[in-house]
Amino acid sequence: MKVEFLEPQSLQDAVAMAKAKGVGARFVAGGTDLVIQMRKTGVLPEAIINLQRLRALGEIKHDADGFSLGALVTHRQIESEDRFLGGLQALRESACVIGGHQVRNVATLGGNLCNASPAADMVPILLCFNADVTLVGSSGSRNIPLAAFIEGPRKTQRAHDEVMTDIRFPKPAGKFASAFLKGGRRRAMEISIVAMAGVVSMSAGGTMTDVRLAMGAAGPKAIRLAQAEKFLEGKVPSKAVLEEAGKLAAAAASPIDDVRASASFRRHLVGVYARRVIELGWNRISEAGNDRSAA
Amino acid sequence: MNSPFRVIGKSFARLDARGKVSGKAVYGTDFAMQGMLHGKLIQSPIASGEILSIDIERAMAMPGVYAVVTAKDIPAQRYGSFVKDMEVFASQRVNFVGQPVAAVVARTVEEAEEAVRAVDIKYKELPGVFTTEEAIQAGAPLVHPAWQEYKAVPTVKRDGNVTNYARLVLGDVEKALKESDRVFTHRFVTNVVHPGYTEPRAAIAHWDDSNQLVVWSNTQLPFEAQATLAEIFKLTPSQVRVNLTVIGGGFGGKLRLGVEHYAAAAALKAGRPVKFVSSCEEEMTSALPRQPLTIELTTGVTNDGKILAKEASILVDTGATSGSGVGVASSVMLMLAGPYKIPNLRLESRSVYTNKTPTGSFRAPAGPQGNFAVESQMDIIADALNIDPLELRLRNIVREGDLAPNGQKLESVSLETCLLKAADAIGWKDRKPARGRGKGIACAWWTTTSGSSGVYVKLGPDGRVFLNTGCAEIGTAALTGAAQVLAEALGVELADIQIVSGDTASTPFDFGAQGSRTAFAVGNACLDAVTKLQQRMKEIAAKQFSAKPEDIEITTGGVKHGDKTLSLREIAAVAQASQGGLIAHGTFIAPPTLHDKERTENMVITAINSPSFHAHAVDLSVDEETGEIKIHDYVVVQDVGRAINPKYIEGQIEGGVVQGIGQALSEEIVYENGIVRNPGLTDYKMPTAMDAPNIRSFLIESPSKVGPYGAKGVGEPPVIHPPATIANAIAAAVSARVQTLPITAEKIVRTLAEVSTKAT
Repeated sequence: MKVEFLEPQSLQDAVAMAKAKGVGARFVAGGTDLVIQMRKTGVLPEAIINLQRLRALGEIKHDADGFSLGALVTHRQIESEDRFLGGLQALRESACVIGGHQVRNVATLGGNLCNASPAADMVPILLCFNADVTLVGSSGSRNIPLAAFIEGPRKTQRAHDEVMTDIRFPKPAGKFASAFLKGGRRRAMEISIVAMAGVVSMSAGGTMTDVRLAMGAAGPKAIRLAQAEKFLEGKVPSKAVLEEAGKLAAAAASPIDDVRASASFRRHLVGVYARRVIELGWNRISEAGNDRSAA
Repeated sequence: MNSPFRVIGKSFARLDARGKVSGKAVYGTDFAMQGMLHGKLIQSPIASGEILSIDIERAMAMPGVYAVVTAKDIPAQRYGSFVKDMEVFASQRVNFVGQPVAAVVARTVEEAEEAVRAVDIKYKELPGVFTTEEAIQAGAPLVHPAWQEYKAVPTVKRDGNVTNYARLVLGDVEKALKESDRVFTHRFVTNVVHPGYTEPRAAIAHWDDSNQLVVWSNTQLPFEAQATLAEIFKLTPSQVRVNLTVIGGGFGGKLRLGVEHYAAAAALKAGRPVKFVSSCEEEMTSALPRQPLTIELTTGVTNDGKILAKEASILVDTGATSGSGVGVASSVMLMLAGPYKIPNLRLESRSVYTNKTPTGSFRAPAGPQGNFAVESQMDIIADALNIDPLELRLRNIVREGDLAPNGQKLESVSLETCLLKAADAIGWKDRKPARGRGKGIACAWWTTTSGSSGVYVKLGPDGRVFLNTGCAEIGTAALTGAAQVLAEALGVELADIQIVSGDTASTPFDFGAQGSRTAFAVGNACLDAVTKLQQRMKEIAAKQFSAKPEDIEITTGGVKHGDKTLSLREIAAVAQASQGGLIAHGTFIAPPTLHDKERTENMVITAINSPSFHAHAVDLSVDEETGEIKIHDYVVVQDVGRAINPKYIEGQIEGGVVQGIGQALSEEIVYENGIVRNPGLTDYKMPTAMDAPNIRSFLIESPSKVGPYGAKGVGEPPVIHPPATIANAIAAAVSARVQTLPITAEKIVRTLAEVSTKAT
């Protein structure tokens, strides 16, 4: 069976090609998910539209309002991005545990999000940063919150002729820190059995504020843990407070039993990691001691 | 240290390094022939059933397809190591998911894959058995209803799904258990693990103009492949020529036929050379993984820790064919007894069919499983008796001149040294240094597999030395070790030696790269060749110098007589001009290991040849909330007899430990009703470089009488101890004793929860 391979030189071309080829066409960037799916199922798309020529989508930009990551930014770029030190370090922490070196050299952020695996490691921290994604299709361009963009396992709001162009998020205000932890059987090449990201800020009074917590791999899609966040707001992270937050997080999980872990173990880990992510973030703010973290 | 050796004991770079590093080495998967076609297997989707029909018509009409091969195209012939229960393609029944039923031959791999989906096979599903416990029940469905018609070696005692019932018996266990102060009984269950070689199994076969079957493959055992292929295709062995490619790892997984027989059957029907390469999924569903064992172990001890008796009942799950599992069921009893002095033993084992993947001979077959049971229980006993686990071992281990459980007399026993050194290196005195941190220790013995070896050692025209062997280099650098033995004895440099290996038509026979024997046996054959070669050199020199051969002196790089000398190059020139060159056929066969046959009933493996002794120790932390393990330090003390090449022995140790850590903590082929739930490397979790700890190796040299320069087998032992060593350290760290492998984080957390529930 023949597969047509197309290489658009512009975003407009890419969209036009996708529209012309219909639902049988697939976009490819790093190919680290698509090629595996093709091999596994033996089902080939009618056409593959390679986005790699759209170099403009491969940059990380920032301005006073926040950051914009092109959809073709690789995990390697994210894990080695100097601007993601300090308060944004959970971005690096999330990116550097995906696959192995070879995968991270080519796998793109846009691909990770559009693939919509419940265990996609970049999603929790981007949910914490309230990221939006931009989609450009034949009927124009639109912005959607990441939380709404991913609908469920392998399901997104993207129409087949829409290209994800960038992922944007505002920089949190004031003194804040972020953290990411994941559970799995190995330290690399590991699909998370639970992933947890958190962002926490310190109020003038020395309490937690603007707490953001998101988990992956413990339900059909990564989600923010609203109840735990609300509970933590305005509190000091004592042992009892963290315990309670962990319980609230675990209660929000809807994990599955599979060959990687049981649902009950995943739920248990959600509780542990929710607590630890907040604790880690809080320690980072305290250690940073100044606003450098938000730089 | 002043070494009396020039070449032995030095960490020279392996002779095959350059080709492997530069990418010039031709592996099985690289190999290609003019006009070659590609084959793909069609595998059973059900675990147990009858084949009703195979319709190949639609597939044959597809582009690029040359042939579809089934059992009908080849002789009806079953084969196997101990019981002949295997067939190339299922003829009537299928017994596991993934069993090859047919193969498609096409111009490209893609066309073959496409056509596989077009072959229509209808099955009638039948009930299967998926655990050994089910399989041994009276009235259980039989995996092989026709088992009585299969040929088998006379030693085995078969019955239905049981392919052998064997025992190791000594003394009066009943009485000894009655007299014991304490009796401990535990059940241990081990996991199905894949050998994890980097290169999948690959072969190319073609039938030449004289109807000889010629095969290129990455097998570990070219001569066994030759014999088995001859049996399958009803040829004489000499009508089969097996050539070795470079091999990307074996670990025992490439001892038995991999895809050679499919390639041969396909080439026969297609009339063209055909290549087969296992896919990753085929590797995980239908290669030859390690047998999972269920071991019930009872030990009677005195209050001061003297072991009086051991009793065990062992079930070996061999999967759909018996394969090497019959051997595992025997050798596990030698492992379970110990390396301990035990006056009363009653061990019994059954190798059992189930409707799952046929199993094989993964590195140290039976070693890790048996050791996990016996060494875990030693620590449990030590805790119960309030004796330090190291001390309990020292009170029971075998020492020089003791008898092994099979009655063989043990020589060059270095176990105490190994244990004490391992304990010292890991800092045993501080065994539980902090909450959540603990140290573990385990010890074992292992065999050096016998079997004969032949080499041709040929002097090249320029004085270079060719080592022609029928033994494969599977990645261990063991043939470099054998070449070091040759260089040492012949008085040349290692760089003067060139290894030629792997063609059953032109190399002498070798029992093959298995059972820790390569450097040991091939090295010894080299020594024999050197003796013969030097005699010929003396005769040549004697003629040249008009002297007597016995007056010629061998020197480094040649011979001399008084002040007259001849270099190897000069001898080679004379030999080429006068007598068709100089070549010596060196041979070796290990002397039989004498043991007490009264003790062993129906055992197909009964002895531990030139035993090696070893101890491992680990220092690790356990995260009590997540169950995550962090290994701080891992120590291996291994008696290698003589370290021929210390660097590559350390390589074997480090690789073996990491492989053992995989079995201990993360690897497992998971089945559900016979279907593999994790048929790929995404969810079959071999350790990565990030998971490999710092490993410190200490080599003990307690020479064997048989090995070259005192060497003992070194390749397999390192994989034996990690599961027990790690399990013991975890129990020391957090009081959680996990008795099933792998010890996942989830099991640790669950066990800790059970412990705390019991405590409250």
